[in-house]
Amino acid sequence: MTQKIRMLLYSDGSEVGRLALALGQRIAKAMADTVDILSIASIPDEEDVSIQAVKAIADELRANDISVAIYRRPGAMGEELLEQTDATDYDLIVISSRGRRGIKRLLAGSRACTILGTVATSVLVAKGRERRGISHILACSAGGPASKETIRFAARVAHALGASVTLLHVMSQVALEESAQGADLEAEAEELMEREAREGIHLEDMLEILHNERVEAQALVRHGLVVEEIVAEAKKGHFDMLVIGAHTTPNIGGLLFSDLSQQIVLAANRPVLIVHQD
Amino acid sequence: MKKKRRGAGAGIRQCGIGLTAVLLFAFALEMMKSGAGFLTPLLRGHLNIEHAADCLGLGWLMAYVVMSGSPAAAIAMTLLSADALTQIQTFTMVTGSRLGASFIVLLLGFIYAVRGHQRWTVLSTGVLSLLLTASLQLPAIAVGVLILKQGWFDSLRWPWLGRLSLGINALLNPVMSPLSAILPPWALFGGGGLLITLSFQLFDRALPELRFEKAGLHRTSRLIYRPMVMFFLGLLVTMLTLSVSVSIGILVPLSARGYVRRENIMPYILGANVSTMIDTLAAAVILGTPQAVTVVVAHMTSAIVVSLPIVLLAYKPYKRLMSETLEWTMRSKRNFAIFLASLFLVPIALVLS
Repeated sequence: MTQKIRMLLYSDGSEVGRLALALGQRIAKAMADTVDILSIASIPDEEDVSIQAVKAIADELRANDISVAIYRRPGAMGEELLEQTDATDYDLIVISSRGRRGIKRLLAGSRACTILGTVATSVLVAKGRERRGISHILACSAGGPASKETIRFAARVAHALGASVTLLHVMSQVALEESAQGADLEAEAEELMEREAREGIHLEDMLEILHNERVEAQALVRHGLVVEEIVAEAKKGHFDMLVIGAHTTPNIGGLLFSDLSQQIVLAANRPVLIVHQD
Repeated sequence: MKKKRRGAGAGIRQCGIGLTAVLLFAFALEMMKSGAGFLTPLLRGHLNIEHAADCLGLGWLMAYVVMSGSPAAAIAMTLLSADALTQIQTFTMVTGSRLGASFIVLLLGFIYAVRGHQRWTVLSTGVLSLLLTASLQLPAIAVGVLILKQGWFDSLRWPWLGRLSLGINALLNPVMSPLSAILPPWALFGGGGLLITLSFQLFDRALPELRFEKAGLHRTSRLIYRPMVMFFLGLLVTMLTLSVSVSIGILVPLSARGYVRRENIMPYILGANVSTMIDTLAAAVILGTPQAVTVVVAHMTSAIVVSLPIVLLAYKPYKRLMSETLEWTMRSKRNFAIFLASLFLVPIALVLS
């Protein structure tokens, strides 16, 4: 029997908040045994709408033998979420993204990214239009050992939801010298696996994880810039959800590396699950 | 103990090569400066090099001939020093030298690829380097010309420059004077050009081994660094190595398979393009010409003025544009041939314009 998880759902009464609540409810039904719902509203009208929606969802989850607790708080999402996650260990948090763009994002920042940068838990950011179901997931693997955790989590989610998975690896490398193995930089996933190239071996390992969870999966390799290729594939393949890893690098490392997960969350127009890696 | 002694020996040898390179560099510059006078009527008369665009093409083609950008930029400095070029003409000639710097790598790679020796992808870094250099250096011309026309750096004074120049002259005069008396100006200029190329080769041999592994920067083939980190790394490494291609080459040992992520190499090359002028600055200082120093400072400033906003504000669309242009160029031999042909035809057209 698959181990159940503890989830935190967030609601603020807004349109995107309702989207996050609906998505969280769907995943909770399939995977969770305990759900906490944090209802925050800074606007009184939104608060009324929010609490009604929250109560309806809580009733439905309880009907599925899931333990549900509701926390109503005023204030800002970031602070309240952080306080809640500090007090309780969650396996997954579901939040919404306001989808700020351009100058607005430059001035106000991204709420979702602020939360991603502060909580040490896997986070699902609800974005884009409402979906009927999660039937096709794009799971992205960076190619290193840390990706195992991402793909394991993706496999659990896909299994619980009955979704298929496309395992994506993006090669943005270019050859620095003539003796470089240039052929690998042009190869498709099948070719890399047949040739037993480093990426090919990695993809086979990740496919095994997915198949062990009895998830229908296939590997795909794209060549180009990492963030752009992931977002382009998500759009092209009409995927319902993206799964990526969050690589937190302590100390000076954090200042050196780009945060690709945040860039993907900002660029994608569909739900993104960021799997926390220790 | 033996190992330590061998290490010290190698260090002394490298210092010796480095010192020889500096002396040869200074000597070559003086030779070229002495011989450059005869070029004024040639450039303005027969070759009709009168405009900034002509000089851009001239520097570009000259870099092809000497197979490197640095000697061509140093030649531009000597021409300014001998009043054969104006400051703006020198500026664009230096820009041209940067554009022509890595062409030889591409040409050789293309010949190999046509013969079926290599996969196309091994040329990617060379193409990317050229694209990035052009995307930075061409807009920087407008900034540089503005700086020089407005005379913003004219108030800068280099009082030590005259004294340094006198010192260098005193050191080189015992050899330079008899040579100037014997050799015709064209031979002095040509000989100086050859020696300057040789001095850059000596510089490359004198370079210390840089160990990025110890600095935590050994994962450029796998992880993606912040653009500013790679920008400053490219700037610093090129300041030490004096050459964009050498500083890119330093990244090779960081990956077992000779790869680098394009997200990392792009800001690295942009940073390298700013500090690659450091040897040209040295040439201007050795020549003792304040106008030449001003040109190089304007060149470096304009490169920073163009590259920093790209890295800080517009890096995403910029890297996308560069990556897509790279993909197009590498898609077929026909596209690559068009790219290569344009690298020949554009500078020729500029000189003939």
